[in-house]
Amino acid sequence: MQELPLEGIRVADFCHVWAGPHVTQWLAVMGAEVIKIESHLRPDLTRSFFAGGKTLMPGLNQSVDFAVLNYTKKGCTINMTLPRGIELVKEIIKLSDVVTENFGGPVMERWGLGYPDLKKLRADIILYSGSGFGRTGPYKEFPAYAPIIDAFAGLTSLNGYAGGGPVPFGVGGWTDLTAAQHGAFAILAALHHRFRTGEGQHIDLSMSEVGCAFLPDAIMDYTMNDRVQRPQGNRDIAMAPHGCYRCQGEDNWVTIAVSTDEEWEALCHAMGDPEWADDERFRDGLSRWTNQEELDRLIQGWTSNYTDWQAAVLLQEAGVMAGPTLSPQAVVQDRHLAERGFFIDMDHPEMGKVRLPRLPLNMNHSPFGKYEHAPSIGEHNDYVFRELLKMPEEEIARLQEEQVIF
Amino acid sequence: MGALSDLKVIEWGEFISGPYCGKLLADLGAEVVKVEKPGYGDRSRSYGPFPQDLPHTEKSGLYLYLNTNKLGVTLNWASVTGAEILKELVTQADILIENHSPREVEELGFDYRTLSKAHPGLVMTSITPFGQSGPYHDYKACDLVSFHVSGLAHMNPSGGVDDIQEEPPLRGKSLQADFLAGLSGAIATMSAVFARHATGQGRHVDLSQHEALASVIRRDLGAATYEGLERIRVKGAQPSTETLLGQCRDGQFFVVCNTDRFWANWVEVMGNPEWAASELFQDRAARRENWDAAKIMIEEWAKDQSLGELVRAAQARRVPCMPVNTVKESTNSEQLAARNYFAEVDREEVGRVRFPGAPYKLSQTPWQVQRPAPLLGEHNEEVLCGRLGYSRQDLAVMRAEGVI
Repeated sequence: MQELPLEGIRVADFCHVWAGPHVTQWLAVMGAEVIKIESHLRPDLTRSFFAGGKTLMPGLNQSVDFAVLNYTKKGCTINMTLPRGIELVKEIIKLSDVVTENFGGPVMERWGLGYPDLKKLRADIILYSGSGFGRTGPYKEFPAYAPIIDAFAGLTSLNGYAGGGPVPFGVGGWTDLTAAQHGAFAILAALHHRFRTGEGQHIDLSMSEVGCAFLPDAIMDYTMNDRVQRPQGNRDIAMAPHGCYRCQGEDNWVTIAVSTDEEWEALCHAMGDPEWADDERFRDGLSRWTNQEELDRLIQGWTSNYTDWQAAVLLQEAGVMAGPTLSPQAVVQDRHLAERGFFIDMDHPEMGKVRLPRLPLNMNHSPFGKYEHAPSIGEHNDYVFRELLKMPEEEIARLQEEQVIF
Repeated sequence: MGALSDLKVIEWGEFISGPYCGKLLADLGAEVVKVEKPGYGDRSRSYGPFPQDLPHTEKSGLYLYLNTNKLGVTLNWASVTGAEILKELVTQADILIENHSPREVEELGFDYRTLSKAHPGLVMTSITPFGQSGPYHDYKACDLVSFHVSGLAHMNPSGGVDDIQEEPPLRGKSLQADFLAGLSGAIATMSAVFARHATGQGRHVDLSQHEALASVIRRDLGAATYEGLERIRVKGAQPSTETLLGQCRDGQFFVVCNTDRFWANWVEVMGNPEWAASELFQDRAARRENWDAAKIMIEEWAKDQSLGELVRAAQARRVPCMPVNTVKESTNSEQLAARNYFAEVDREEVGRVRFPGAPYKLSQTPWQVQRPAPLLGEHNEEVLCGRLGYSRQDLAVMRAEGVI
């Protein structure tokens, strides 16, 4: 039995859509009690999302998009348009260590729940505010759409085939979830600080600043050398061969990367020591890089005889970095991830059995964390109002009638 | 005072995934001692970029960014003395971060079982391409291989390609997968630090880059398992995003029109053209159906527009729209300037360097630069003499023997 690291920590969570909820997902899985505050007037948008492109779901509790980001959390409903609703939230906050939000503007302040207000409720409160561009500056209320942030930060300009122009970065969730993970880390650091000193604080996270944090090489080529880098595709600034090569079958690809002369020799040997490998043009790292277009053509001539996995395994056994290019549907079938227990089955009252990816948390040889089905809307109202806030039955009933608990 | 200033970390790592994990801790005040091989050091020292493209082991931009705020020592950990010293350093630390292959770690005797015997409170974070167990755990990988095997490259570019046999799945910008592994490693490390509070017992944190990447595309994996969605890369096979990367006469922009309000306002930006009133674009369902046609019409209009004016007009109407900035524009952005985002650090050998700063602002314990990235072996004396009690003569001998 492993103790959960954040047992005893409570989070009052206003996060919605993708970036925000992924922050509190980490906290919940690590054992914090995350109370997700929604309303029937304003359910989390992802409850209505269906990955197939439709936007209407039967009810609010059947979306896998919601489930995959909100499992293990508790859900309650509070109508924040009513002053009594705000009072209820304040009661929850008094019992919470952390408040989290990712609104597109000063919504918390409008509710009288800005950081200075929260400190009055609880002096050591930690407030996490996530946004696209930060809570200060001329862009502070710009909407936080990932492709907009990618365009702003410079990531889009660097995303494309070698020698080609920018193309939109297609990894859905990348920008939101990498920002969210920086947020989770910052919250843990703030909790650590509070543990030692009793002092809370306000965390202001900007997705665009996170985006730039992953681009130091390109940014510094500009600040040092006034150079603006262009897309490299699957290539590398120094390694060759380094690319994605077509294999046998439809849309079947293997990636191969060679970083040393030893690996080059191993690759040649694995390919059956073809004559062309002795060519002057490929004699050392620099020549291979200079002539990589031709080199890539020749290597693809070899990979085309194998499936992605055949080529990958052959090369790995020879000590060469290689791997198949997998689709998301192939990843869920992956045997390594299966053996690592990466997918977890959760029983959901409306969705039935749902198999979802866990977080990459492993301690002492086993997956780690608390995994429970995502909350139906208002599922834990009873717990929050009766057990946590200790409100009498009649009051709860009245507040439901008045659509405060709604 | 940094939020993590009580934590002592040994970073025994190379390139990006280990060092970015160490950087996140160091930048919030943890004491991070970076252990490098004598002679060449961390291979990020040879990656660049370099001022005037002249390679120099103390002037690599990637190294300087990743290793700010750390102390630096050199150790030949394959030697008997070097291994002893590394073990001694680890015994005095709270956290060990490493990103070597599981096999190498085992062979050197630095596995968690061995280290934790001497130091039960140790949090050891091992960051590897595939984790410490499972059929692929001995596989070698780099950023390219990891990005492709975890399902991410299959999704890039957004919207698919014209010819799936000619246009391969795309990694795009380099190094992203390695940064992500370091980031997830840092959260996992802190979770082990918290777990240790109750019992004083450390943990072995096994961070698999493969899992970290797959976790990021969780929405697509959920769609695959629960809705049976099978993604194909052919252009047009995916539902329309109602977005556009468009070309103006003097640059490119990206616009998002996926709500009625955004679309209506965008139509205003375009001067209410007649074509927009067509029933082909009358509601979201219709627009998703006919988005290719909408794009053609928008691009026809945009090609004569000025990028600056187009973006300003869209933003004024709260339509999500940005120029496709290169790093030149983003680095000079008024928003990032207003946020004091970029750090400027003076560093021996290279002078003043400018690089990304805090990815978050903490009101009481702000991110800060306390020291530039160490010169190779810069703190050998401070650490080996000051903390482990070796004399300067010892150091001279070790240097001669290649131990440091």
